[in-house]
Amino acid sequence: MSYMVAASLEQALKILHEKGGNVQVIAGGTDLYLKKPLPDLVDVSSVPEILGICRDEGMLSIGAGVTHTEAAASAVIQSEAEALAEACRRVGSPQVRNMGTIGGNLVNAAPAADAAVALVALGAKALLVNHAGSSREAFVEDLYAGYNCSYVDGSSEILLRFLVEPCGQGMGSAFMRFAPREALSLPLVNSAAFVRLRENIIEEVRVVIAPVKPAPTRLVETEKLVLGCKPGEDIWRKVEYTAASEVEVRGSLLRCSEEYRYHLVGVLARRALKKAVERALNRQRR
Amino acid sequence: MKEQVIRFEINGEKAEVYADPTLSLLHLLRSRFNLIGTKEGCRKGECGTCTVLLDGQAVNSCLVPAGKVEGKKVLTIEGVTREGALKGKRVHPLQQSFVEKGAVQCGFCTPGMVMSAYALLRDNPSPSPEQVREAISGNLCRCSGYKQIEEAVLEAAKTMQEKQG
Repeated sequence: MSYMVAASLEQALKILHEKGGNVQVIAGGTDLYLKKPLPDLVDVSSVPEILGICRDEGMLSIGAGVTHTEAAASAVIQSEAEALAEACRRVGSPQVRNMGTIGGNLVNAAPAADAAVALVALGAKALLVNHAGSSREAFVEDLYAGYNCSYVDGSSEILLRFLVEPCGQGMGSAFMRFAPREALSLPLVNSAAFVRLRENIIEEVRVVIAPVKPAPTRLVETEKLVLGCKPGEDIWRKVEYTAASEVEVRGSLLRCSEEYRYHLVGVLARRALKKAVERALNRQRR
Repeated sequence: MKEQVIRFEINGEKAEVYADPTLSLLHLLRSRFNLIGTKEGCRKGECGTCTVLLDGQAVNSCLVPAGKVEGKKVLTIEGVTREGALKGKRVHPLQQSFVEKGAVQCGFCTPGMVMSAYALLRDNPSPSPEQVREAISGNLCRCSGYKQIEEAVLEAAKTMQEKQG
């Protein structure tokens, strides 16, 4: 077992290459470090390429190594990717948010990872580079291989950054979550939504709910329902019904009953969508 | 397990240790530096009693591999006590306030609580009750309850402000 701290991307990729798959990338470590037995680790948390939040050709470029604390406190994310700031604020505890990174939140691939749910709603793309130095781009929602299993291969590639379209005029996003406690509590259900309005009509929408499948799940029927609609009181009740009807959930002794989870899916999908629309309308007026 | 040299700063002093880098910072502190004020609770980042400051931020030392602290600054409850001692007191004003407000019962969560509160007051010298509650939201206490702890932190903030002013 070994632990190598990479000072540069070049060095990190070199280690991945030399180890030929017998090594695992580690960032904040709050999830990975609990897994036993530990493989050889290469720590990328100080690689400059995965840090910081900046603008890149009109997109927000958010480093995969940005911690939940940094993302939640970032003025840019708070104002132009609200769902992500709200989600990051709710992860674990202050201690976990100080270490855990949003990239790790995705690669760990827990079904209801708050930051990942928000990133899917925001239509985020992930930027990755592999040990041979070739890079690729993928939508965050396409990176789930199964339950707690990611298509990001931590033994041969590094997740560098997320690209998110900043919420400008007529756009808005929101994140909602329900858990038994305010902190250190996994969500019974969480939800995130994004909308783009044109002349008060919804012309683009993403509504995401979790955990209902191994990956954060787009509510396709609900999205179809509201697309092209003028948001108003009459559609919110339909949203709640449609959202709860299009998923299949299970109850668990640990979390809550099946009935309660269906109820939460409807309520949280409606609230997230409604909040995203409110924000989009506010931006239109300005 | 291969051991390697880890150099970092602990409670203001330079430290160098030959250790397994996958050992947790918690165990490094307790077994190699005899800094046993930092407690081991759940060992999975849920109880917060192992909280220390890593480069000024509260972290669960049970979730930090020792290799990660290379070149970084670690502050433990012993360092906080010493900060008080350097000012001619027995302990830090935060610790004093915990005693006076009855915020300590069995005491097992206390070092972690103090560290989380210390991190808060360093960034925000006059926090609101909500901000105190959020700052200690990653620390579980199963006996005294949180009310006295919240009061102790608010009171300490006041005392520390007065001393500065």
